[in-house]
Amino acid sequence: MARLMDLGMDRLRNLLLEMGRLSEQTVATAMEAYHLGKNLQEVNRWSSKLKQLDDQVSELSIELIARFQPLASDLRYIKASMEISYGFYRYGRYAHDIMEVLETFGDLAKCDHTVVEASAEKTKEMIKLSVEAFANKDVDLAKKITSMDDFVDNAYRDYIRKLMKSRKVDLRCALSETLILRYLERIADHATYIGNSVIFIVKGEEPAYHD
Amino acid sequence: MNVQKEQPARMTEEGVLRAAGDDLAKKTAESTDFAAKIRSVDLDAWFGKTQALKRINLGIRPNKVTAIIGPSGCGKSTFIRCLNRMHELVPGARSSGRVLLDDEDVYAPGTDPVLIRRRIGMVFQKPNPFPTMSIYDNVAAGLKLTGMRRGKNLDDVVRNALQQASLWDEVKDDLRKPGTSISGGQQQRLCIARAIAMQPEVILMDEPCSALDPIATAKVEELMVSLKATYTVVVVTHNMQQAARVADFTAFFYLGKLIETGPTASLFELPKEELTERYLTGRFG
Repeated sequence: MARLMDLGMDRLRNLLLEMGRLSEQTVATAMEAYHLGKNLQEVNRWSSKLKQLDDQVSELSIELIARFQPLASDLRYIKASMEISYGFYRYGRYAHDIMEVLETFGDLAKCDHTVVEASAEKTKEMIKLSVEAFANKDVDLAKKITSMDDFVDNAYRDYIRKLMKSRKVDLRCALSETLILRYLERIADHATYIGNSVIFIVKGEEPAYHD
Repeated sequence: MNVQKEQPARMTEEGVLRAAGDDLAKKTAESTDFAAKIRSVDLDAWFGKTQALKRINLGIRPNKVTAIIGPSGCGKSTFIRCLNRMHELVPGARSSGRVLLDDEDVYAPGTDPVLIRRRIGMVFQKPNPFPTMSIYDNVAAGLKLTGMRRGKNLDDVVRNALQQASLWDEVKDDLRKPGTSISGGQQQRLCIARAIAMQPEVILMDEPCSALDPIATAKVEELMVSLKATYTVVVVTHNMQQAARVADFTAFFYLGKLIETGPTASLFELPKEELTERYLTGRFG
């Protein structure tokens, strides 16, 4: 027999799935804008929408706790949902920040996109995995995200080190790429946190630490 | 994105219980690795031919609140009534195994059950002050039976018990009024004061708030938590949120078996046994 609380839990899950899809699309579109050198305004609209959805998840989570005083896996799911929702919202927020970089720095066609685009590909893959890991409560996928985080971290750090050793730097390219790599690195961190939350839902294990 | 439809794990209660029962030896080991104030060892209990408790091994930590939870008929009330030998007062009821109070078997031959019940007091579901007695006499009744005479000492004990039960300020000017003249919540605290007056070591509470409104319930819950500084408290409750609020440790019973026990926070957030998970999340039946 379905429980009364399941109506709310299903709504919570659907909200998060919607956020997952939208945040994946938002980051992908921001990176497409970088690739094409275009300002795609829908990124900012979707980023705002993700903030609204995050607020809805928080309100619904609090309502479920107040109404049903959930325990065990229900409690873990609601607790993790708030963290996952925040992660999806942050994906959107960093996509918005990437758009701001494009607006601020203007034409980046002359810059070498290789490092940023490689990092973006890995980050988008991590986002996709985080959404799927949540949707299917898949611990293996969640663990895979963590193992990918180093690639994006290293791309950012290696780029900074390389810049510091360079004698001649195109400031427009150096600053914009540094910022975008930093945002991608943060998105990848949030993907890792979402993976950790999926593991917490399924197994109750807390990660040893958060970066 | 490939989203699979969620399939909740299904297993019959019987199947899960069988699996849990197979693991009882392990549970015994888990439950005995600390100094308990009171401990049941291989405790069985029957009502006639019906077995109500099956090999319960559970240690109750001193100066803590331990909650016993589980669905109706799981044996939780029977369990606490075995702890102070009240179970044997029911015609046809019997038990086997041991109950150790500070390592002393309360069922050892020659042990006086009345003395045991003095050391292990009890508060019941429905407030049951003696209807013909005043508030004062309700608290003093047990002491008078032990031969204590009315006087300053008795007055002090009554006041102290009422203070510990957080009732003194509300009744200090009405001590001669009937015990039944006060509200249900106050009557329950009067019963707690009556138990405290006997200076027990352990206080057993069997659904002490089920007949009370939320405000009276909150007062009794606050009382449970404050009492553990002096006493060991065991509370049977149907209300899982109450267990979550007051208990340091929780034990889950099902069909006469102890399924799982542990610190309340971890048992309620991450139960080890599937049966516990299903009970806590309301997925029984």
